[in-house]
Amino acid sequence: MSYHIVVCGGIVPDPLQTLEPVMGPAGPSLKNETMLPAVLDPWAAHALFEAANLARNFAGSKVWLVSLGPKAKLQQVMMTVAQKAPFELVPIDGPAGAFTDPVGVSGALAAAIESIAGLDRQRLLVFGGWESATRGAGATMQMVGERLGIVDQFQGVDSLAPREDGSFEILERIEGGRHQVSVCAGPPALVGWATGSLPEPRNNPQVGMLNMRTIMPALQKARAANVAGSAPQFLSVTLPRQQRSTKVVKDLSTDEIAREIVAWIKED
Amino acid sequence: MDTILFLAFTEPDGSLAKPALEALGAAVAMGAPLTVGLIGASVAGAASQVANCGAARFLGVSGEEFGQSRYATDAAAAEAVARAAGATIVIAAASVRANRALPGVAHRLNGAIDTHVTAVAGGPSIARWYYRQRMEAAVGRTARPWFILLETGCHAAWSGSPGEVSVESVAVALPPLRTIVTGVRSPQSGVETIRPDARLLFVAGAGWTKKQADGQPHPREATELILGFLNKTHASLGGSKSLVDLSGEGEAVLPFMTHLNQIGQTGASPRHPKGLSTCCHGEEPHVVGWRFVTERRAVNLDPNCGWARGKADVVYVADAFEVMRKVNALLG
Amino acid sequence: MSERPVLDVDIVCVGFGPAMGGFLTTLARSGLSPNVICYERADDIAFGVSGAVTRARGIRASFPDLDPAEIPMAARVAHEKVLYLLDPVGASRRSAGLRLADRATGAFRVASHHAVELPYTPPFLRKDGGFLFSIGQFNQWVGSQLMGSGAVQIWPGTPVLAPLMEGGSVAGVELADMDVRAALTVVGDGPVGAVGRRLDERFGLPPGHHPREWAVGAKMVIDLGEHVDLAPGTVFHTFGYPEPEIFGFFYVHPERVASVGIFVPSWFRCPVRTSYRYLQHYIQHPYLWRYLEGGTLRSWGAKSLAESGRRGEPYLAGDGWARIGEGSGSTNVLTGSGVDEAWTTGMQLAEGVAELMQEGRPFTRQNLEDTYVRRRRASWVEAEGCIAERARDGFNRGVISGLTGMALAGMTKGRFTIGGEPKPVPPVAEYYRGRIPAAEVRRIQQECAAKGTGAHDALMERAGWPPIACDGKLLMSLQDALLVGGKVQAAPGYPDHVRFTDSAACEDCNARTCVEICSGQAITPGTGAVPAFDREKCVYCGACLWNCPAGAICFEAGAGGLHSAEN
Repeated sequence: MSYHIVVCGGIVPDPLQTLEPVMGPAGPSLKNETMLPAVLDPWAAHALFEAANLARNFAGSKVWLVSLGPKAKLQQVMMTVAQKAPFELVPIDGPAGAFTDPVGVSGALAAAIESIAGLDRQRLLVFGGWESATRGAGATMQMVGERLGIVDQFQGVDSLAPREDGSFEILERIEGGRHQVSVCAGPPALVGWATGSLPEPRNNPQVGMLNMRTIMPALQKARAANVAGSAPQFLSVTLPRQQRSTKVVKDLSTDEIAREIVAWIKED
Repeated sequence: MDTILFLAFTEPDGSLAKPALEALGAAVAMGAPLTVGLIGASVAGAASQVANCGAARFLGVSGEEFGQSRYATDAAAAEAVARAAGATIVIAAASVRANRALPGVAHRLNGAIDTHVTAVAGGPSIARWYYRQRMEAAVGRTARPWFILLETGCHAAWSGSPGEVSVESVAVALPPLRTIVTGVRSPQSGVETIRPDARLLFVAGAGWTKKQADGQPHPREATELILGFLNKTHASLGGSKSLVDLSGEGEAVLPFMTHLNQIGQTGASPRHPKGLSTCCHGEEPHVVGWRFVTERRAVNLDPNCGWARGKADVVYVADAFEVMRKVNALLG
Repeated sequence: MSERPVLDVDIVCVGFGPAMGGFLTTLARSGLSPNVICYERADDIAFGVSGAVTRARGIRASFPDLDPAEIPMAARVAHEKVLYLLDPVGASRRSAGLRLADRATGAFRVASHHAVELPYTPPFLRKDGGFLFSIGQFNQWVGSQLMGSGAVQIWPGTPVLAPLMEGGSVAGVELADMDVRAALTVVGDGPVGAVGRRLDERFGLPPGHHPREWAVGAKMVIDLGEHVDLAPGTVFHTFGYPEPEIFGFFYVHPERVASVGIFVPSWFRCPVRTSYRYLQHYIQHPYLWRYLEGGTLRSWGAKSLAESGRRGEPYLAGDGWARIGEGSGSTNVLTGSGVDEAWTTGMQLAEGVAELMQEGRPFTRQNLEDTYVRRRRASWVEAEGCIAERARDGFNRGVISGLTGMALAGMTKGRFTIGGEPKPVPPVAEYYRGRIPAAEVRRIQQECAAKGTGAHDALMERAGWPPIACDGKLLMSLQDALLVGGKVQAAPGYPDHVRFTDSAACEDCNARTCVEICSGQAITPGTGAVPAFDREKCVYCGACLWNCPAGAICFEAGAGGLHSAEN
């Protein structure tokens, strides 16, 4: 048994950056968007690590990373991502921001997946994040699946465990901090990952070098995407004004603090 | 003029849960012609529950295969109901089930979708978040049908007396089913994770694993204090990203913390009436997990802690080990 | 011992900063296609720190048509002033001579907003026709062009631990999990880089050279308030405040953004020398505060500067290796310029390397001396570096001697200056003698240590510096500043990169300058004699390294650090 795993993963501003929206004639964008350092979307990164792990455990498997973003930024991000896991990059030159609608993005991603030469639909697992650090919508992957005709879809996945008969068991997050357990007969399937259980691998320059053999030529050939879709009208985009006036309690004994906390917990 | 479809998945007992009633409340408040669409193993009870909501039609898809939360069946059923209703706006609660299925349905109907919506206003327009709860947008759309998935706790639940209605059964063409739902699994540790129904969220920060005043880390006592508190209060347990990452690395810190506990960043943004944060040094991407907690208090040795200042109502400048020892004693 | 994986390339480069930008840009255009790979320790190529106002001679030679609008935050230098800042607070330590001079400014009514604008900017300081940059954005722009060319691979997040020594040659570099072998190793890892320091340990320094002058540079990037109408390209160079020894800068970027920073030099003989606290007082100086009040902190950062410049120059080349940039002694302390000098040394090495490759000659010490070092010696970097060599020695005698010596050196092209030898930093109690009783100094130190903090804030306030009125916007605690824009991240699973190697030396140490100087509050008093280190707070400024009088700090290369692309 082996898999063809396509991971959809966009790039997002480094989560440690301060973000501020600006409204322009073409809609909202991030202030200083070009200046902000970018990283692979954290959920997609988990998907990539899980894909690499699966591919390592099932000989003959292969991983592709389909990524939509401005070409120069993609290139910069890939210098780090490429050191994490072996994959072949399928870059799409286009906007990476939150304000592009999932309809258009899913179209570009599905078209890129369909263009992958040698992709075996019978072994296909489409991976991605169940959310993103941009739109945070959790809608794009389902639309990618629909466009590819995949109706075995899972979201909020923390585990995918292949079984001997070719099926696999999937754990999806559900309400109440629990997992729903399903068994899927096998590929093709689409998996929107939550965080999985694998830690971020350390940078491995050897993996990076191997990946670069295909990443650089792919980037040079990357085509501009058409992400036009049913774009929303943004009436406003603002930073939340949730600054609270914090009471700083410095001079209470721990006994008094404990009593206050317990009384507060017990209040209705 | 827009017409509304309120779409809901019924609970195992055939009823509608509170989040669904909240979404119904938002749908009714729009004041447009309303259809109710129900999907589940059985929908009669739910239809009766909301019979007096003012809907002109009640559509239903029922049967054993629709009692399970599964993309293929849920999407097919929702598609059939939405087509039968012909509504321009579809409102549903942002449950795991709806979040999974409805984006695909929006695509099948050549429509649009907004998830994690926190308010629906006239126009219509919606409020939703971008960049992990770091930006709030007001959004309108011309595309129809427009699917709106409303977060829990964002609208008053519809309430009214039950009644008798006749439910129009909608036929669904199912694809071959390749996925079987086999059950539900709770975290093995038995420790609380994020439970929406808990009144209190306890946030454990990375400070619990750090060296304390005597120069040594005390993970065993940290574990006892945290678990002791959870047992006494039945609070949800949340953790900052660095703490759950440490556990994920297999370090002997707080082994009961998993990514299910993470809030902010790639974790949850839970809604609880109260939150108590301990030993956290939060920054914007982490603290977004704190955003929808109503009353917030923090215990930290640093009065300028980013998790607390400007974000908590009260910050106690104190050693969390000492405070929690005494809190647990007081809780008995 | 298990075999480590080995990667073979033609040229391996250590550290991506302006010097490596100059090297790789020039090499990529040479028409040769060596297999070049560059490793950068930080998590992104845009995470540098510098107060970069530059005449940009080398940079403009590489990019003759450079339009600053292409690079975020870049502007042409439009208007320069040199300011002597008086002390409006009365807490700085001014010599009698300086106090007299201060009083004279009052008598002659030449001061405005507690500052004296010098009537002209000395030629050696002027940056006519130059640019001001955010070094992070400049590096990102250069890196992006380089990678887009396909000629070079630059890998961030990959610390280089050490050079691969083979006899007296360097055969490549050692990474955490593999070795990279190369015919040429180019070392541009800055003033506190691990590879450069290993080479210094192995080969020593040329006779008479010594890297004994340092500074911590700290800067804030600030969104100016709506009321500020300073033109982009405005540059202030300042001296005199918050302490007479502390030089400062204020540059205006496009879109009403300013870079404001100070340099805390090693010859500021105060053992309590947190650059962040001094920077907070600096920005509140009335001359600057009228522009900065109402502003918002976007980012901050800190770095070490190799202030010895030409006199701290190590061997520039050896068999299989060459050094460029600040770690090679290129920074010019007289002109207050380092980025362009670094860039130019990179260009010179690339030209030399290209010449050797075209002629099929190996990268031996002699061949690199004949090509790279020869170019460098014949260039303005060398000429101006020689002028600057002793320009600041007078500061070891006092501020007036120092300033006079600088002016003399600048005006006479280095023929004359005022000499002086560095002295050790005095114990804390001695520094505060006459201001704070020794017993009280000890008490404050003990109280702060018990709280796990440095003593600088408490001691400065006891010495008369007003507390900082934090507004949560521009004035905030150091930890909050680190969360605002310059945030620190350390990937889990790596060992500490700062270690204390001699606990006996820590026992004997009274000053604990490592704690006081630490730009991220990553080094704290700890419970015993040896300080504690928290790698999740380290911004890699490297100041602990040169502030330990016993040399008992091991500062390795590590991944992570400051995540700000604006500094």
